[in-house]
Amino acid sequence: MNLTLRDFDWHRWRLVILGGAIIGTILICAIFAPWIAPYSPYDLDVMTMLQSPSGEHLLGTDELGRDLLSRTIFAARISMQVAFIAAGVGLIFGTLIGVAAGYFGGLVDLVLMRFMELLFSFPAILLAVVLMASLGTSILNAMIAIGIVFIPGFSRLARAATEVVLREQYVESARAIGMSHRRIVFVEILPNILAPLLVEAAVAFSYAILLESALSFLGLGAQPPEPSWGNMLNTGRGFMTQAPWLSIVPGAAIFLSVLGFNLIGDGLRDVLDPHMKE
Amino acid sequence: MTEPRQHALPDGLPTLRIRDLSIEFQRRRGAPLRMVDRVSIDIWPGEIVGVIGESGSGKTLTSLATLQMLPNRAAIAEGTIHLDDIPLQDRSERDMRALRGDRIALIPQDAMQSLNPTMRIGRQVGEPLELHSGLSSQRARQTVRKLLEAVHIREPEKRVQEYPHQFSGGMQQRAMIAMGLALNPQLLIADEPTTALDVTVQAQVLKLLREIRDDKGASIMFITHDLGIVAELCDWVYVMRNGQIVENGPTRRLFMAPQADYTRMLLDATLSIHTKPGVAQ
Amino acid sequence: MGRLIATRLAAFILTLFAASVVLFMTISVLPGSAAKSALGMEATPQAIARFEAQRGLDRPLVVQYGGWLTKTLSGDFGTSFQNSVPVGPELLKRIPVTLELATLAFLIANLVAVPLGILAAARHTKRSDKATTFVATVFGAVPNFWLATLLIMVFSLHLRWLPPGGFTPFSQDPIQNLKQMIMPALSLGLVSSALLIRIMRASMIEVLSSDYIRTAHAKGATETIVIRRHALRNSLIPYMNVAAVEFGFLFGSAVVIEDIFRLPGVGSLVLVGIINRDFPVLLASALTITVFVLVVNLIVDLGVGLLDPRRIKGSRA
Repeated sequence: MNLTLRDFDWHRWRLVILGGAIIGTILICAIFAPWIAPYSPYDLDVMTMLQSPSGEHLLGTDELGRDLLSRTIFAARISMQVAFIAAGVGLIFGTLIGVAAGYFGGLVDLVLMRFMELLFSFPAILLAVVLMASLGTSILNAMIAIGIVFIPGFSRLARAATEVVLREQYVESARAIGMSHRRIVFVEILPNILAPLLVEAAVAFSYAILLESALSFLGLGAQPPEPSWGNMLNTGRGFMTQAPWLSIVPGAAIFLSVLGFNLIGDGLRDVLDPHMKE
Repeated sequence: MTEPRQHALPDGLPTLRIRDLSIEFQRRRGAPLRMVDRVSIDIWPGEIVGVIGESGSGKTLTSLATLQMLPNRAAIAEGTIHLDDIPLQDRSERDMRALRGDRIALIPQDAMQSLNPTMRIGRQVGEPLELHSGLSSQRARQTVRKLLEAVHIREPEKRVQEYPHQFSGGMQQRAMIAMGLALNPQLLIADEPTTALDVTVQAQVLKLLREIRDDKGASIMFITHDLGIVAELCDWVYVMRNGQIVENGPTRRLFMAPQADYTRMLLDATLSIHTKPGVAQ
Repeated sequence: MGRLIATRLAAFILTLFAASVVLFMTISVLPGSAAKSALGMEATPQAIARFEAQRGLDRPLVVQYGGWLTKTLSGDFGTSFQNSVPVGPELLKRIPVTLELATLAFLIANLVAVPLGILAAARHTKRSDKATTFVATVFGAVPNFWLATLLIMVFSLHLRWLPPGGFTPFSQDPIQNLKQMIMPALSLGLVSSALLIRIMRASMIEVLSSDYIRTAHAKGATETIVIRRHALRNSLIPYMNVAAVEFGFLFGSAVVIEDIFRLPGVGSLVLVGIINRDFPVLLASALTITVFVLVVNLIVDLGVGLLDPRRIKGSRA
């Protein structure tokens, strides 16, 4: 059977495709930044500071004469890196904790999940900010802090999904024939909890970008001269009348990334959820 | 497709006359699906008519069509439905609302799910009075209490203030019946009202329905897949399969001398489980 | 009902204690000596040692926590490392600001989300539903601090209708207060509303497909009556649970928004605490925000209990 392009259910995957296109573009910017950006993000030129968009500088320049477009493109690197690593940290540790809690049950479950619930009751930004205060401001610490913020959410999901899977017969039979705990988890449980975790991961990416930019905005994330959409937005605050584009562009970049990941998350949820649509 | 029934009753109109009703379901891609095909059903005043068939035979859709409450993608493709002399198939939503709950009442399948969990029973049961007679829930309370008594719910003054989850399955079903009776409808459509109930409770509900027919002269369309109940309760039976009427006739005759193979098959399947001597009449 | 309140209250207090432990331990690890920050970069090692000994910073953490707990429970929230001013009064002055901000934002969010969500659900699969969902999706991706900046640019700098920041207590000058609060509240509220619209819509759609809604229709009820009398209460229950979480998120975002609009609230105090490495200030303000969130969750939890008779009354007769 030869599947043609027309056989693919475009309609069903439309949100994922749209979101994927947006994120794909941003990822390309991030990965190929040195080749795509017209200037270096660090090139100062006090003579050309605060210029509005022109042929020379498509998005204008900032307060130190640096090209805004180039800085925006390079800032994508930081946002994407933080997003992926933070989401990854949350996903891995959260899943570990959630599956362990669901699988072993009893005291392990109680202690782990109570602690997760506790962490969950802190508002995300507050937790991130406090963690950053404790760890010290740097991009790496931002990744860790945001990752920690995500752990409770993932653990809750992983635990619930593990519980569902555990009720199925094949785990019983696996145990009956003497499969080791580790094998059961990797071979039987994990593949089946993948779907909801993926949706949550997409949401985590978008939230990570938001949190990272909020932290940078507050001065707790990427430090100048490193370009981050958040800290660019922050500096822009000082030049709102002279150079409004400094406030508009970085914010728009954050907005698009968040939108892209949200669309992917929504799209995946629609696709993977066996929901009756009428 | 069988002949509409010939009836030896005096002139007058049947309470419900469904003629050549066909219902189609719009699919996203492709031709519409015909779920009900040229179905004709007559129900005369004071009759209890059974519509029997397995799941997917179209019996519920037929009843919903009568109320003009078909689900989103389903629509009447052809045929007519009359309540007395009132045509229903093209009736406006506004005019249908006037009939629903007043002259035609629905007693749906799952009583627990069909009751609003956050509204007191009294208010729900009395709602038809509020909607059609303009009574406030306060003033309707007397009538509601009487309705609950009529369906043999004890301590109605107490029960009126309670919520559905505080009622047993049988009581919930009877509350639904009370709701249906509120305005003395001409036609009661009971869609598998006893399916989820224990046998003893089932018997009570059936007895109640018979009382309603006897005391108020209401007609009842009783939809079910249970031949035993039909044998006990119904005067006339329609057998449905895959959206079509396979056979119809007086209960006794149908059970004694079924003409269609499908009917015979249903009977065989049932009689091996039930050993019920004697049939309604 | 009394039992419900008691258990919830107990859980609340326990969580509060646990939260204070977590915050305390996390903040105690604050790098960059608090002493240096207070005394200046040239402080001598002896001065630093004295500073720390005076404040008990050289004792084991558990002992420190115990000390802190006792003092806090008796109303003493410590003194700032930076300027030796007691934290308590400052905190008290700032609480109303943050409360006003969060409440206004939450009000705006719900006033927008509930009607629009219901409307979208009622017109499910039609164009107005798709449009509403689209707008909600797009708006939900807007960072609230970006929206805040844009609002300032338009309404303060360009149109000069509203002040770009600052705070006047409502009791002093209600009009000025509202003028100062409207943009902060909008930045938080509008973005929140985007999420809440979708929640309300989803909840209402779910409820509208229930059997008891069919029953209501079968009794001859109009669309309006069905929604108002039957669907609303049932769809608000799951909605409120999410709204409570969102309210909590609002308090967190207040940290950023208060900074942008120079509102003297608890959120901006958190930032002050971080920048100055001011341990007591940071701990007290972070804990206060956590308290707000926990209280909100408690209230909503009990509120839902009131709406849902299945929670209060016993079960079957």
